[in-house]
Amino acid sequence: MSARDRILSRIRRATAQGRDEAERREAVRARLAAAGRQTAPTPAGARTPPEARLAQFEDKLRAVDATVSHVPRLADLPAALAHELRARNLPPSLRMGEEPAFAALDWTGLEVSRGPGRLEEPAALSRAWFGVAETGTLALLSGPDNPVTLTFLAETHFVALRRADILPGLDELWAALRASGRDARTVNLVTGPSRSADIGQVLQLGAHGPVALHVFVIDD
Amino acid sequence: MTHLQTSDRFAQNVREALADANLQAALRGARGNFIAKRAKAAALVPEFDAIRDAARDMKNATLADLDLWLEHYERKVTEAGGVVHWAESAEDARAIVLDICRKAGARTVNKGKTMISEECGINDWLERNGIRPVETDLGEYIIQLRGETPSHIIAPAVHVTVPQVREEFRKAHADLPPDRDLEGLDTLLTEARRVLRRKYFEAEVGITGANMLIAETGQSVIVTNEGNGDLSQSLPRVHIVLASIEKVVPTLEDASTVLRLLARSATGQEMSVYTTFSSGPRRRDDPDGPEEYHVVLLDNGRSNMVGGPFQDMLRCIRCGACMNHCPVYQTIGGHAYGWVYPGPMGAVLTPALTGIEKSRDLPNASTFCGRCEEVCPMRIPLPGMMRHWRAQEFERRLTPGAVRWGLGAWTWLAERPRLYRAATRAAALALRAMARGGRLRRLPLGRGWTAHRDFPAPEGDTFMARYARGERPPARQAAAPPPRAQAQDGARP
Repeated sequence: MSARDRILSRIRRATAQGRDEAERREAVRARLAAAGRQTAPTPAGARTPPEARLAQFEDKLRAVDATVSHVPRLADLPAALAHELRARNLPPSLRMGEEPAFAALDWTGLEVSRGPGRLEEPAALSRAWFGVAETGTLALLSGPDNPVTLTFLAETHFVALRRADILPGLDELWAALRASGRDARTVNLVTGPSRSADIGQVLQLGAHGPVALHVFVIDD
Repeated sequence: MTHLQTSDRFAQNVREALADANLQAALRGARGNFIAKRAKAAALVPEFDAIRDAARDMKNATLADLDLWLEHYERKVTEAGGVVHWAESAEDARAIVLDICRKAGARTVNKGKTMISEECGINDWLERNGIRPVETDLGEYIIQLRGETPSHIIAPAVHVTVPQVREEFRKAHADLPPDRDLEGLDTLLTEARRVLRRKYFEAEVGITGANMLIAETGQSVIVTNEGNGDLSQSLPRVHIVLASIEKVVPTLEDASTVLRLLARSATGQEMSVYTTFSSGPRRRDDPDGPEEYHVVLLDNGRSNMVGGPFQDMLRCIRCGACMNHCPVYQTIGGHAYGWVYPGPMGAVLTPALTGIEKSRDLPNASTFCGRCEEVCPMRIPLPGMMRHWRAQEFERRLTPGAVRWGLGAWTWLAERPRLYRAATRAAALALRAMARGGRLRRLPLGRGWTAHRDFPAPEGDTFMARYARGERPPARQAAAPPPRAQAQDGARP
C-alpha cells in the first residue's frame, strides 16, 4: 500500500463511521456543484451598492498606503503615467507585458520595454482584471499579457483598472473569474505595496516587492 | 535549523527565557501590539462572529469527508499539470523534497515562510545534502542568520531586538563596507532587500507553504505581506508547495470565508498584501513562473487526530491570535515551548503530533484565562483540549509523584466540605498572620511562585465564611439590598 492509500484509509476509517460511501461522495459532489454560492455570512462591507463602490475602493486603497488617480479614457494612460513618473522623480521608462490594450496605446516619450521582471525594475505597469471594493484589493492574472514577476519586482508598481471592473466583494470576484474562462497559473490579489514588521516590530513599506503602488482607474 | 524537541525540559527553558534580557526586551516591545490591532479590525465587521461560526462549520464539514476532498484536490492539481506527493512522516517529506531538488539539479533553494518545512526539518536536511536553503521572509532570514528557529508562527523573529539584527547583518553581509550606516530601520530593510533580491535569481527551486488548498480548483494559496513567497515561487524553475492534509477547503467561496478571518485575526489587517492562488506549472505562453509544480501533502500524525478528541485542532488556520493573546506566551516567548508550534495552539498540537510523554508540561503552561479561545477565528476550544491533555497525562501516570500525591490529598479534602472549609479558613488566617504589608515574600510549598514574585496575602477570611456572615459587596447605585444568607456555614446536611 502506498503512503497515499495508507493516509486516506486512516482518514476513511476515522470519519466514515458507518456512513455510506456513496452518500458521502454524493454530498461532496453536491457541495462542489454549489460552488459559486456563498453560504457563510458576508460582511456589509462586501455588499456596497454600485454608487458607493468606487469611493469605498479608493478609501480602502489609501488606507493600505496605495495611491490612486483617475484617467478619463484608456488613451490618456500614457500621459498620466509620464506625469506620475516625473512627479516621483523616476526616469521615463516602463516595463510591461504584452497586454493588447496597452500595446494599442501611443507611448511616445516613454521608453517602454516588454517582458517578465528583471533584477532591477524601477517601474512597471500591470492591468488588474478586477478590483474588490471590500478591501481595496486588485486581482491580477498571470500570463504573457501580465508577467507575474512584474507585480513583485517593480520598485514602483502601476496598475490600470477599468472602473466598471470594480466588484463589491471577494465572492463576486470568484464569479467573475469563473465567467472569464481564463486559466491563469496565478491569481494575484494585491492589497497595497509590500511591507514587513519583522525588524523591531515596526511596519515598513517595500520589503521585497514594490515600495509604492499606484492605481489608475480608467473611468471610461 | 531543525527543531530538536526540548518540550520535555520546559521548566528549564522557561527559567532561561525569563533570565534572557534581550528576549524580555523584545517581548515587552511586542506586547499588546497585535491585541489592539485585532480588536479594532474585528470590531469593524459586525458579522465577524457569525463568519467565525460559519468557518468552524465549513471546516468541520470538510474534515468529516477529508479523504474525499483530498482525492478531489489531487485530481484537480494533476489536471492542471502539477504533481501531488503524499508524505506520511517528516522523513518522507524530506526524502520527497530532496529527490525533487536533485532532479532539478538544485544548488540553492529559496524558501517562502512555511511552518511545515520547520516541522519536517527541511533546511538542515538540504544543507546536509549539499543544497543551500535561503529563507526569504525577512523574519525567517534574520533567524536563519542567527541559527535559530521561529519563535512565533507569523512573526518568526519577534524575539530579536533591532541591535541584534544590526549585528547579524554586519556579520553576514561581509562583502559590504564595514563602516556603512545601519542606524535606521529603513537602512536595515533596504540592505536585506538588496541582498535577497540577488538570491531570488540564483535558486533552481522555490519552496512555499500553503495557507489553504482549494479542492474545487486544485489551487494552493499563500498569504504574505512582503511578496517573498511569490518571488520564491515565480523565479525558480521548480515550485514545491509544502502543505499538511488539513489545509484543504472545498471552494473559492470557502476561501473567502477564511480570508475574511485570517488577516484580521493575525495582524489586524483587513487583507494581507499578497494573497496568491497558484495552480500547476506556467502555462504554455507564459514568460515567467515555474516549469514544474509539486505539492507535498504531509500527514505526520494528523490523520490520527481525525475523528478523535483533538480533531478540532485541525481547523487551525495558523493566524497566531491565540499566542498573541496568551499571558504565558507573552512572558516566555515561543522557544520555551520547545518545538515548532508555540503558545496555546502549540500546547494542543505538539502533544498530538509528538506524543504527550515528550510534552506533558505544555498543556499545563496555561492560566486557563480563556482568551485564546475567545479570539480564535475558527473557534477551537483550546483550553478544553489542554484540559483533555492534562487528564490523559494523569491517566497515563505521566504526572510526577508529588503532584499526583498533592492532587490526591486535595481531592480527599475537597470531598469533605466541612473539613475543607475549616482547613481553608485556617490556611487563610495563617497566611494573613505571616504576611508583611499585605504581601507574602515566602510561601510554604510555594517557592515556585515566591521565587519570582510576592504572593498577595488573604484579606483574613474565606469567601464562604464571609458570605455566611452576610457580607456583601458594597451596594451599587439603585441596586436592591442583598438577600440574607439562607444557610449558615456548616449548617447544610
